Amino acid sequence: MIVATDHLSKWYGHVSGLNDVTVALPDGITGLLGPNGAGKSTFMKVVTGQLRPSAGTVRVFGEPIWGNPSQYQRLGFCPEQDAFYEHMTGLEWVAALARLHGMEEASAVAAARRALEKVDLLDVADRKIGAYSRGMRQRVKLAQAIAHDPQLLILDEPLSGMDPIMRRRTIRLIKEWGGAGKSVVVSSHILHEIEAMTANIVLIHNGRIVAEGDVHQIRALIDEHPHRVSIRAGDPRALARRLFVDDDITSLRFEDGAVIVETPRPDAFYSRLTEIAASGEAGAIEEVTSPDDNLQAVFNYLVKP
Amino acid sequence: MRPPLLAPTRRIFELALGEMLWARRTVFMAAAAGAPVLLAIVTRLALENGSSVLIINGGRVDSEAMFGTAISALYLRFIVPALGLFYGTSLIADEVEDKTITYLFTRPIARGAIVLGKYLAYLLCVISVVLPSVALVFMVMVPFRDMGVLFRALVGDLGLITLGLAAYGAVFLWAGVSFKRPLVAGLVFIFGWEQIALTLPGSLRHLTIAYYLQAATVSVTSLIVMIIAAVFVAMRTIERREYVLEQ
Repeated sequence: MIVATDHLSKWYGHVSGLNDVTVALPDGITGLLGPNGAGKSTFMKVVTGQLRPSAGTVRVFGEPIWGNPSQYQRLGFCPEQDAFYEHMTGLEWVAALARLHGMEEASAVAAARRALEKVDLLDVADRKIGAYSRGMRQRVKLAQAIAHDPQLLILDEPLSGMDPIMRRRTIRLIKEWGGAGKSVVVSSHILHEIEAMTANIVLIHNGRIVAEGDVHQIRALIDEHPHRVSIRAGDPRALARRLFVDDDITSLRFEDGAVIVETPRPDAFYSRLTEIAASGEAGAIEEVTSPDDNLQAVFNYLVKP
Repeated sequence: MRPPLLAPTRRIFELALGEMLWARRTVFMAAAAGAPVLLAIVTRLALENGSSVLIINGGRVDSEAMFGTAISALYLRFIVPALGLFYGTSLIADEVEDKTITYLFTRPIARGAIVLGKYLAYLLCVISVVLPSVALVFMVMVPFRDMGVLFRALVGDLGLITLGLAAYGAVFLWAGVSFKRPLVAGLVFIFGWEQIALTLPGSLRHLTIAYYLQAATVSVTSLIVMIIAAVFVAMRTIERREYVLEQ
């Protein structure tokens, strides 16, 4: 395990940032998902040794991280905050930070150039950061995190502020790093972003780990709970009457011309719905959508208070 | 394993030196160092026919006394503490406030190296501005024929000012590392506590920096001990303290 926490808690005075978090992140790419204020940034700050655990332990590469700066030789961190030495050029800034990894000037500049090239900023490397767009600023933060070729990258909301094209490129870049044998822990509050990078996710909410593991395993967790389906039919009332015949639905309501049902047994329900559609009893079934088919709904469901 | 200190200190020093040139406080420093020079030029022009004596309220003030007054009243009482305060407190506190400290804290270097490198950059920066200012004031205010006699005094004053910049800078560096709002506390210390304590009988004046910089009670040893202790404590403090950056 590349990162492991054991009963980790972090309090800011009386406010809890993390609450009894025990998690082990494997090699490869791990997505940390949670709404704003869930504790993602606190988790990342503790894991990168910027904050000291209030209780419990954190181990990175099997060693403690707080007060252990030698760990940063193998770790790159891209913080969430939009903070820079604005007057420096992208190249100067990334090279200056690379030098703090013990590189000589020439090596640091070469490493900075490589990193800037990876994030498509080489053509503006000599422009001051203060003149960068929001997306460029995000990318130059990524560049400083990868310039020293770390084994583990920790990225806090790295896609925030990027346009769709850069977002896609950055996702590809992160996947390439993972494919090259590096480990990445990446946070986001948008599920489809994480979904595009990895199937291994950790869901965090109110400072607690709600679920962790493979996306499919997490989806299985909700099978015990009602599954919501929206159906547009030619005759919604006839459809409702037909659906109420069996006990595989727990609730039904009308909303904007659609019938919304909740079912604890989605497989059986879909099978029956297919039969109803084929019989034509409720008129034409025009549309069947299920928010729960989308991973976003899984996320929403699991973190629902 | 404890990471090395010297090489990272040098790299932080280089980085911080470049940063200081762009800091908002640089304008303040230039003004603080330039004002006495302007004042000296005005005073010199006020002297009649190149006379080295100025009549103030019927009393005769010679060039040596004028220069001494400039050093004690302007530099040691105001410019040196003010520069120490505004720069010393900002060395770490600005990085925390701007949230750029993250980039330094996530490098394989001892946090103490960040403090030491920045302090040395501060020292070089202020010395290279303030000492030429003092030398210019000397050249403007002291007639050429008196310069040879007063040169030793100038060298002594330059040394004292250097020690003052180092001492105030070190103490306020520690304050900047330790407290969230160090500037206010520093202002109270300089313009409140030091002014009051120096006038009080007893040993309370020993709890000031100004006391050790006064001509009558100057103590190089005390100042050096104070500088080393303050920088050391600042380095220890930053190693142990966590900085919660506000979102």
